[in-house]
Amino acid sequence: MSLVVVRAAGLVTVQDLGRPGRMHEAVPPGGALVQGRLIAANRAVQNPDDAPAIEVLGNLVIRAEQALQVATDTSSPRTLAAGDEFAVTSEPRRVAYLAVRGGISAPLVLGGRGTLLCAGLGGLLRAGQRFTGAGLAVVASRPLPAERAAGPIRLLVGPDPDHFAPGALELLVSSEYRILPSSNRVGTRLDGPALPRTGAPEVSRPMVIGALEVPRDGKPIVLGPEHPTTGGYPIVAVVAAEDLGRLFSIRLGGTVRFTGTFPTDETSVR
Amino acid sequence: MADWVPLGDRAIRFARPPRSAQALVRAVRAWPGVIDVVVARHDVAAYFDAAPGAPEAAAWPARIDALATAPDDPAAGRDIALRAIYNGPDLEHVAAATGLSSDEVCARHAAATYTVETMGFSPGFAYLGGLPAALELPRRTTPRTRVPAGTIAIAGLQTAVYPFDSPGGWHLIGSVTGVQMFGPDGPLLQLGDRVRFVS
Repeated sequence: MSLVVVRAAGLVTVQDLGRPGRMHEAVPPGGALVQGRLIAANRAVQNPDDAPAIEVLGNLVIRAEQALQVATDTSSPRTLAAGDEFAVTSEPRRVAYLAVRGGISAPLVLGGRGTLLCAGLGGLLRAGQRFTGAGLAVVASRPLPAERAAGPIRLLVGPDPDHFAPGALELLVSSEYRILPSSNRVGTRLDGPALPRTGAPEVSRPMVIGALEVPRDGKPIVLGPEHPTTGGYPIVAVVAAEDLGRLFSIRLGGTVRFTGTFPTDETSVR
Repeated sequence: MADWVPLGDRAIRFARPPRSAQALVRAVRAWPGVIDVVVARHDVAAYFDAAPGAPEAAAWPARIDALATAPDDPAAGRDIALRAIYNGPDLEHVAAATGLSSDEVCARHAAATYTVETMGFSPGFAYLGGLPAALELPRRTTPRTRVPAGTIAIAGLQTAVYPFDSPGGWHLIGSVTGVQMFGPDGPLLQLGDRVRFVS
């Protein structure tokens, strides 16, 4: 199998399930922005879940150079003949995945095959770039895990309550926030009511994907797969791991609401 | 018993026990379910492959306490010499602020042996402890939006080499030559390594 990129606009990269195990070297986990959707696209063409596929935050057109089977995370598998073009857009969501039966060939570097821009590994897809197949064996199709379809994004409160003025958390869970277009794989920037901080000194501390880091302007940034492993801004709350995919699927300009629980006693804050 | 706080539902954070970063990484990675560890200056975070249950959580305070006596061999790091050119844009500012001549700033920076104390900020960025107290300065009030890869910088009692073009708030005193701080084999510097700058 081989395919060629006809057009790529936006953040279009090869991704897999990332490079866990290197955060002590300041290498973030990386991998698909929405892992569940990468897996959905891979399963649609009977690939292993971690097969490299193309992540599209924007638009992509490819052309098959030989017959090949493709699927996205939202479409059924389709066979392309040599010369056929296939377009993928992330609209109306933020991200879409294009999987090719057998996987896309990409070199294994530091335990992963995906692009990690912050570490200079891989790069944005560009017109004329050619990909060959990885030749991965067929995996029997499996049902996808159920995804919560709706409802506010669940947060686990903390771990830096001393850095926030009283009422910050109530403001966060009672307001609507907009996903800013400046968002990328490092962070998803939110616009909405500023969360009041105290004067507690900033300390460089370990970070985690899904953390709502709050700079001095009070507007939270949700850390994504290419986040710095340490950072000085305090964390008001962390998105529940199960809800990360839902949050990162919301289109730029779209809105989000949060709900919070205290992880220690499950007491709802609202 | 040692305390910890949740960092979401798949990670925890606790105060850094008095051990080298490399000893802490090794010990915490041996805990059940741990896939990643970050050691910062004052804190440690452990990252799990799935949300841990109450029985696992009950074991953490004792595990954290045990880290204070984890095997630690501070001499185990490698010795690495980096070729340095002291031509940074902040050299004169650092000289003025420390009351030393530019030559003296370079000489003192090159005379010290540094240890990789923690890693963070960007892939392969090593915080090197051991900067002579005579060169101690707070960070710049306004960070630069772009510092070129390979730049040698100082702030507080630490020095570092930027592995990638990135924003930066430290004072830029020079650059390394002939090496890539991060590449397909990973970071050049690892926790515990001893580093000297050779001009």
